[in-house]
Amino acid sequence: MAALGGGGTRWRRAWLPSLQLLRRGSKAVTRHWKAMHFQRQKLMAVTEYLPPRPAVPPRCLPRPSTGAQQEDGQVRVLRRQVEETLRGSRIVAVCQYNSMPDEDVAMFRHYLRKHNIHVKFVLNEIVRPVLAQSKYRNLLPLFVCQNILLVSPETRAREMLRVLKGVPQVNLLGACIDDTILSRKGVENFAQLPSLEVSQGQTVAALSLLSSQTSSLLQRGPAHLTALLDEHIRRLRDTGGATEPPPGQSTGNL
Amino acid sequence: MASKVSLVLRPVKSIVVRFCPFEPNVESTRKFLQCLYHKKVQATNTNCEVTADVRHDGSEPVVDVMFADGDRLIMKGAHLTTGEMLSALESRCNAKDLKEEQKNKKNP
Repeated sequence: MAALGGGGTRWRRAWLPSLQLLRRGSKAVTRHWKAMHFQRQKLMAVTEYLPPRPAVPPRCLPRPSTGAQQEDGQVRVLRRQVEETLRGSRIVAVCQYNSMPDEDVAMFRHYLRKHNIHVKFVLNEIVRPVLAQSKYRNLLPLFVCQNILLVSPETRAREMLRVLKGVPQVNLLGACIDDTILSRKGVENFAQLPSLEVSQGQTVAALSLLSSQTSSLLQRGPAHLTALLDEHIRRLRDTGGATEPPPGQSTGNL
Repeated sequence: MASKVSLVLRPVKSIVVRFCPFEPNVESTRKFLQCLYHKKVQATNTNCEVTADVRHDGSEPVVDVMFADGDRLIMKGAHLTTGEMLSALESRCNAKDLKEEQKNKKNP
């Protein structure tokens, strides 16, 4: 019994499994990932959340129609900006924009701004509905790929073409000048026309030429008669001065 | 598409892209032109002249490529996609580049 008692305490000291394990293993909260106890692993597996599955999978149901799509506020703002731009400009030129370095873009915008031409970068999905409802609907086929709009309240096509010639990355596709849609060739021809004031002056001069000719035409007859009579009097005076008849004889005969 | 472009324009002398923007079949040609002006592509050969010829005569869109060794590649873009045009040009450019490199290796 004593031997058993002595042996029992020795056995108990060396072999309390929980004490042994705690002394040997790491703490509960560690800085590294600690492997879960097997019992805990089993508990976690059993109590895992399984979401409820619908009787009919959602992909078999008909797609819900979005109906009237909610228009984004930003899209509305951009659309309004485009409408305002189109309303207040006499010349709207559509150009294809190929990628340019930023400083070149800044210089390009600066040179055009000097001639009061504004450069607007536009997105096709915003511009196309706006154009479809405005008078510019024939410009719709141009709005494919990246485009920019050159708008201006004046019609300075010559300066615009000069700047565009120096920038090969921007290609002029077409323009609408004073409600007239022009192709690239049309814009070049328009640029070579004289300005409105010069052409108005030419028209006025051409019309007044005819009326000035009328007055001179009417006066031509009497003027011719006057000239002839003057010439006749001069000749009579010359011949009368050469052979002057005696004044007495002429009065005696009468 | 621009990020996948690995076009090397070294053997190309000039490219002329002719199209009529009011026609409905010019989208691929215009996208091709846009890809040509990408900075990586332009950096491969700064002497290559890329010209855009905008017409209004209802003609088909055409891409005319002149190579430095005299060859000419004409692509009618009306029924081609941008990818097809780019891959055609890319394959020819790579072939010519390779030939050039081999010639240079033979005669140093």
